[in-house]
Amino acid sequence: MNRSHIKSLRRTAGILLICVLMFLPAAAQTDPDPNSPTPILLTTPNWTSASIARPASKSASAQSAATSGSLAASSQIVLYVTNVDLMENEGASAFRLSAEDARGARYRFPVVNLRLIDRRNRIYALTAMLKDETGSWEANAAAGGFLFSVTWRGLESNRLRMNFDAAGVTFSGDAGGAQTFPSANQSVDDASAVGYRWSGDRTRFLEQATFGPTRALDDRVRRIGLRVWLAEQFDAPYPTNPYPAFGLKPTTPSPDCNGLIDNGNPDSDPFCYVNHYTMYPVQNWFYKEAFYGDAQLRHRVAWALAQLWVISGVEVQQSSHMTNYYKVLARNAFGNWRQLMQEMTLNPGMGGYLNMRTSTRFAPNENYAREILQLFNIGLFQLNQDGTFKLDGEGNPISTYDQTTVNNFTMTFTGWTLCELSLTQCPSRVAGAPNFIDPMAITNPNNHDLTAKTLLSYPGSTTTNVAACAGCTGTAIATYANNSLNQALDNIYNHPNVAPFVSKFLIQQLVTGDPTPAYVARVAAVFNANRANASQMKEVVRAILLDPEARGNAKTDPTYGKLREPVLLLTNIARHFEARSADRSAPSDGVLTTETGAMGQVVFMAPSVFNFYPPDYVVPGTSFKGPEFALYTTGTAVTRANFANTIIFSRISVNPERRVTAGTSIDLAEMQSFAQADPSGDLLLEMLDLRMMHNIMSPQMRETIRNVIQTIPASDPLLRARRAVYLVATSSQYQVQR
Amino acid sequence: MNESRRNFLLRTGGALTMTALATQLRHFGLMSALAEKADEKKRAAAAVPNDYRALVCIFLAGGNDGNNTVIPLHNDANLSNYALYSALREPQGLAFGPNVPLPFNVPRIGNLTYGFHPAFGVGANNGLYELWGQNKLAIVTNVGSLVKPTTKALMLDENHPKPYNMYSHSDQAAQQQSGRSDVQAFTGWAGRISDRRSGADNPGSLVPMITSIVGAQLFTAGRTTLPLAIAGAPVPLSQVLNPQGYESPTADSQAQLAAYNALRTQDLSSELIAAASHITDQAIQVNASLQTSQEVTATFPTSSIGNQLKQVARMIKKRGDLSVKRQIFFCQINGFDTHNLQLPNQSILLAQMSQAMRAFYDEMAAQGLADKVTQFTLSDFGRTMNPAGAGAGVGSDHAWSNHHFVVGGGVTASDFYGLNTSNGTPYPTLVLDGPDDAEFGVGARGRFIPTASIEQFAATLARWFGLPETEMVNVFPKIGNFPTSNLGFMKPE
Repeated sequence: MNRSHIKSLRRTAGILLICVLMFLPAAAQTDPDPNSPTPILLTTPNWTSASIARPASKSASAQSAATSGSLAASSQIVLYVTNVDLMENEGASAFRLSAEDARGARYRFPVVNLRLIDRRNRIYALTAMLKDETGSWEANAAAGGFLFSVTWRGLESNRLRMNFDAAGVTFSGDAGGAQTFPSANQSVDDASAVGYRWSGDRTRFLEQATFGPTRALDDRVRRIGLRVWLAEQFDAPYPTNPYPAFGLKPTTPSPDCNGLIDNGNPDSDPFCYVNHYTMYPVQNWFYKEAFYGDAQLRHRVAWALAQLWVISGVEVQQSSHMTNYYKVLARNAFGNWRQLMQEMTLNPGMGGYLNMRTSTRFAPNENYAREILQLFNIGLFQLNQDGTFKLDGEGNPISTYDQTTVNNFTMTFTGWTLCELSLTQCPSRVAGAPNFIDPMAITNPNNHDLTAKTLLSYPGSTTTNVAACAGCTGTAIATYANNSLNQALDNIYNHPNVAPFVSKFLIQQLVTGDPTPAYVARVAAVFNANRANASQMKEVVRAILLDPEARGNAKTDPTYGKLREPVLLLTNIARHFEARSADRSAPSDGVLTTETGAMGQVVFMAPSVFNFYPPDYVVPGTSFKGPEFALYTTGTAVTRANFANTIIFSRISVNPERRVTAGTSIDLAEMQSFAQADPSGDLLLEMLDLRMMHNIMSPQMRETIRNVIQTIPASDPLLRARRAVYLVATSSQYQVQR
Repeated sequence: MNESRRNFLLRTGGALTMTALATQLRHFGLMSALAEKADEKKRAAAAVPNDYRALVCIFLAGGNDGNNTVIPLHNDANLSNYALYSALREPQGLAFGPNVPLPFNVPRIGNLTYGFHPAFGVGANNGLYELWGQNKLAIVTNVGSLVKPTTKALMLDENHPKPYNMYSHSDQAAQQQSGRSDVQAFTGWAGRISDRRSGADNPGSLVPMITSIVGAQLFTAGRTTLPLAIAGAPVPLSQVLNPQGYESPTADSQAQLAAYNALRTQDLSSELIAAASHITDQAIQVNASLQTSQEVTATFPTSSIGNQLKQVARMIKKRGDLSVKRQIFFCQINGFDTHNLQLPNQSILLAQMSQAMRAFYDEMAAQGLADKVTQFTLSDFGRTMNPAGAGAGVGSDHAWSNHHFVVGGGVTASDFYGLNTSNGTPYPTLVLDGPDDAEFGVGARGRFIPTASIEQFAATLARWFGLPETEMVNVFPKIGNFPTSNLGFMKPE
């Protein structure tokens, strides 16, 4: 039995244990502490002569030392670190070295070696390579001293100052260094909880696993713990709000459903056109499900997948086509990746968007063949299992395939088109409307290529060669096309890039924009161990959300976290404060595309197959990745604040012209009551900190907002609440989810 | 806008300066360091420019099919002529008839006749076609990503360096925007010009050197400078960066504004928080400078690109107020990835492009800046000569070299520019597996090998913009791989 099996058994046992014990108040004691210890960099020169006790607490004085090589680019540096508690197989790639130069610019380096050099005191020698991914170190690092720190599982160590002087390189502590935000001791442990006590981490978890924390969800997780909640979510019925039920329509709208006034006659149903021929109903449904749906995790993961397997209403004509596509994502969100590949490849919405449905052996179209490799599964460069690039002898990344490979996949995918056969074969057909519901089919065997193809070749590849089907005709071709498709998808699925590629993408979507290689590797291992498991993605999602790099009350790594994309910014605020219609009499109508559009993101309307933002976008002014920052500019910084202003001080009103039928508003009554109960404003701030910032609001930030509250008469608690909520919601501290 | 409101904004903008500076020094310390250095060096030598110049990039996202944008109409048997073009595209229905393209004569190729896509001549302002006759429109042919000059023979040489990830949108678009085809780069060539020149060219400017109307783009990314990104028209300039909720300056709303600003000076040990705060700071500072503006006089089309270029024109009209001498703008038209339905879709897009660029040219002429502002196109790549699909839905696939357009009074003359292909002209030989096709054998689809690199194209524009020769290699590190950094399409100083 291999290790991962043991692990999953342990997990199962853990769930059983929690299930058994959840009725007992003492169950809380069995939860593992999600907080990792904070690593400590040792600073005393000549560390070997010091007698070191393993620090019993975080305040224990750090001792010992560091040595270094020269600081030329690509040289290596050795530092010493303690107070880390490593899991099995956790090593160098779980750490990163960060250096800040004299001008305050920060560079980040991979750790290439980690060696236990003092077993009793748990001291590790850590070797870092001074070469950052974006090359900015070589180009820019200022001479002079550096401040070094190591990061591990989203936590930053103390900082260590390295000086150059006549005596050479010396190290000292960073006495004058900035206080690291946030401090870990602010975590709130809730003794009354029976399931999951760590309130800060509960909120963080819900930010990652849902469209925003709510009090009800927080209560639920507090009571049953993360694992049981996940198990519950994996099986939760979806969707809570029925999918839009608008059916297939002809490509050319009829005069009674074209949104125009023909011969003085408007459409008898004024919503006929927008409901059928635009993304309007599926967009509205998306938000309603995000606001009110019970199967939050499935909706969140499906939305993440929709940002990988992208199709867009820029080209997709009908809402029914998009709904049908989204159903595939939702249905397979906790399924097997290979099955998702199959259903997506034959999905007619995808087939239309990336032109596979018109690709024939006479007129092949490379679009889908290229993107299923490049964007959806493999990427352009060979990856190690931790998601880093494999490098050739000269340090350059190695391509995964070339144009010839694309051509061969293209030919393999020829001949598939919309299912326009008998109703037995294509049960969703509607006369006069193209069938964008049933999976694509080989309707004209003559369009499928019959020559031999060579697919991806990699160590262990088994389905590289697709044999020719010389002289085949009729149904033999359909069978051959189907077998070839399976062979091609197996060939992609089994490529070693898929596990780290998919794992890293989902981590970026749910948890943090620039995960450590170790985190990626842990998740990729789960992906690989479950390749044949029909619930593979369940295990992957669980591994992502329960990883120690995801969990903990507070993360201090300066590069940890992710900017909230506009959609998630909106849904989180809506869910914090119980979004309903403009007049509060009904649920929100979910008509919110104008609002997120101003911030750069409209659901189901990605500008291209490259999604709203690229996964390797470098945060401006830094040398590390933050995909969502591609949507954060001077312009959208302000539109984000203006959205907060509208929803907090006013509402999104009913507007027939924009087809806003009920509008959206939030309710600050509860915050108002906190403002009323405590005229100092402290209770309000405490609750906002707890709900919106998982208890990491810095004292400085709290003081700044408190001062504003104090300028408003205590007799106006609603205005106090509004201004305080606005300031939290518009702050960079909230815009960044960490 | 009333006076008190304006003063209020100016006040708050002014009050911000100190706090904004703090975040900039912490995270963009290099900016001031570089600026200082530049100042020291250049104070004596190079004065602040005494004229205004701007470059306006129009990115044709998705890869415009240049093969149907600039078409040979002549029948010279020694060159790629109309018959060759038609033979390759007519069978699948992608060729224009001989009388459809808008004809023009190319001085450089013995005045032989070529044609523009017919969309170049439509619209209320007649589009770009007329500008050819006025010597305001240069065509730079057969340009693309190259690491070193490359020939068909060199395609077979595995040791000859080629651009990474050929025919991939994201990578090839990145190569056009970064000006690097050898490695993935994280700065754009405009961003690097801004890094090197902001201090020297635009001292005291109230706006960054670069403004994007379509969000953050690689083209605009510097290492030490940030672009401005604003919405296009019809949003007025006074609103593009204006935080709402502060219209009535009550004591508590002022306190809220002060706190909104102050929070951005806090918790900066998180690089993510610091980055977001810095960008917001820049928005709030520039907002104070954009509260008054004059409307432009030319009529712009209401397409997306029309509205983008209109906003650019409004910014340029404010150049005096903003104390800016050198600006680079970035606009984009989406939808050129015409694997399918190319004929109707490319027509729509090129018509929008042509009308908007023409309106912008007319507006610059009205502002007296026709020869001080240069528009140019970039695109991911060209498209296969061999069509994709056939019939009504016919399109084309990703390819390599492309033809680009440069518009303004600064262009040398209306002509073809670029470097000669195998046939002795800068227009490629339209033969599948021919001497200019990167591909071999029966599967070759006409992916033509660029003769001029994107760096050469960009360097020619950058020189006109005022980038000193000594800075060329800093902005275009691989320019030395090519025989010249000047393709000749811009007038010398």
